[in-house]
Amino acid sequence: MSASTSGGPADWGLVQAADAIMAREISSTELLEAYLKRLDQVNPVLNATIWIDRDRARGDAFGADSAMASGKAKGRLFGIPLAHKDMYYQAGRPSTCGSAIRRDFVPDYTCTVVERLAEEGAFSFAGLNMAEFAQNPTGHNRAFGDCHNPWNPPYITGGSSSGSGAAVAAGITPASLGSDTGGSIRLPASACGVTGIKPTQSRVSRYGVMPLSFSADNVGPLARSALDCARILGIIAGHDARDPTSARERVPDYEGACDGDLRGQRIGVPTNYFFDTADAPIRAAIDAAMGVLRARGATIVPIELPLMDAVSAYVGVLSRVESATIHANWMREQSQSYAVHLSARIYAGYAIPGAFYVEAQAQRGPVLKQFCREVFSQVDVLATPTIPTLLPTLAETDIDHGPPGTEQKFMAVSVNTRPFNYLGLPSTSQPCGFDPNGLPIGLQLAARPFSEARLFRVADSYQRDTDWHSRRPKV
Amino acid sequence: MTFPEITEAMIQAWHGVVPPNDPARRMAADLASVITAFEAVRGRMRFEDEPASFEAALRECKE
Repeated sequence: MSASTSGGPADWGLVQAADAIMAREISSTELLEAYLKRLDQVNPVLNATIWIDRDRARGDAFGADSAMASGKAKGRLFGIPLAHKDMYYQAGRPSTCGSAIRRDFVPDYTCTVVERLAEEGAFSFAGLNMAEFAQNPTGHNRAFGDCHNPWNPPYITGGSSSGSGAAVAAGITPASLGSDTGGSIRLPASACGVTGIKPTQSRVSRYGVMPLSFSADNVGPLARSALDCARILGIIAGHDARDPTSARERVPDYEGACDGDLRGQRIGVPTNYFFDTADAPIRAAIDAAMGVLRARGATIVPIELPLMDAVSAYVGVLSRVESATIHANWMREQSQSYAVHLSARIYAGYAIPGAFYVEAQAQRGPVLKQFCREVFSQVDVLATPTIPTLLPTLAETDIDHGPPGTEQKFMAVSVNTRPFNYLGLPSTSQPCGFDPNGLPIGLQLAARPFSEARLFRVADSYQRDTDWHSRRPKV
Repeated sequence: MTFPEITEAMIQAWHGVVPPNDPARRMAADLASVITAFEAVRGRMRFEDEPASFEAALRECKE
């Protein structure tokens, strides 16, 4: 599929669509119908959804239009239809977690983040495809079928928020909640050519969200621009009494930070780890992106990162052990209900000694402090490829049907995203080019804890001077 | 016994979980690389290190 930069309401950004509704340039019903029409056009190829609730969504849109007509419209997302990864519990609606095991699960309560979006006027109309139990970096799904990349369907979407990446890119929804434990927001954002942010660990409530790893799970948005992500994060971030692990730090004005001013910003480009396996087209795209940031006033600084041996040792232990623990009953009683690649990954988690797990936990604070002290005294933001290698196809990373060795190709996809989950640092991905197969390339940015505003400032500045984020796959 | 055989037996004994498929056996065998990675950072752990320090470290490291 080739690129297109034009389009109707389904191709608008989130903020643009919200502004258009409040200006009465389009109704909520018209916007919803544009998304549903696009969904019907592209979903036979993409398989981006698990369920669609047209009737209730049309009722919600009608309600919004009625409120508008009677002068009662309010909220930063008034009348906006959204679709989320199918692991955000909504009372009375399915939440399959992308799995056969939870195919019929219907929660009786709603997660905090969807409630907060609803308080600003948004409503949900679909549950999006995802990796089974949010545990693969590719978008394979045995229970509901693989999700396909809208730019080139035989290729992976990235995962685990596969449907979120594909749906935002293809104009099915203007934004979507994903989740990120090892890269699951940033990988599909990169592979599908959209923008996503994994916030600081604890920045967003996880109440009512499917758990994978208590220590590393994060909730965040995928959308068409940094500004659109800033709108969503500004709504969902902040302490939640129902999630005692959520941070009490003040939520800054993320949209206000998008002012285009990069003067004085020091952007660090690592000289170790993050480019070790990078393919030439990826390196070239990151180099070009640094040129754009430099032209806007930033200073580009090569930097050798400390402690990457420790981060590499500890990074996989937390999520593997925690996932193995919470899946133990199903692994004993019905392991064949999982996809092969998932039960294989969970299984290995049982062999990791408790002493390794405690060491990985105990070292997390000291490693973070030393990393921040040595890195962020020299630079303000780190810039790396989100995925360092050319994107593989679904077939090349299909553990369930592939030869031995496929596991390594599968895990290599997330080599650059996982470190920031262990460190708990906020991290974004935004499009910065295309590879020779016509697939998007992602630029990953990371900064100190709770520095999401700084990341939005850099990402938005980059998007003011480039149009990668505006391009849409032609469907 | 080989490392994969030891690992498989240990998982069954401690958790009551049997390998669901061949990729599971291969991924468990690949845990040898985790051991190697931990060997490389031996000595970092101090007697007083506290797992609950992470949330405090996040706050301490913010701008």
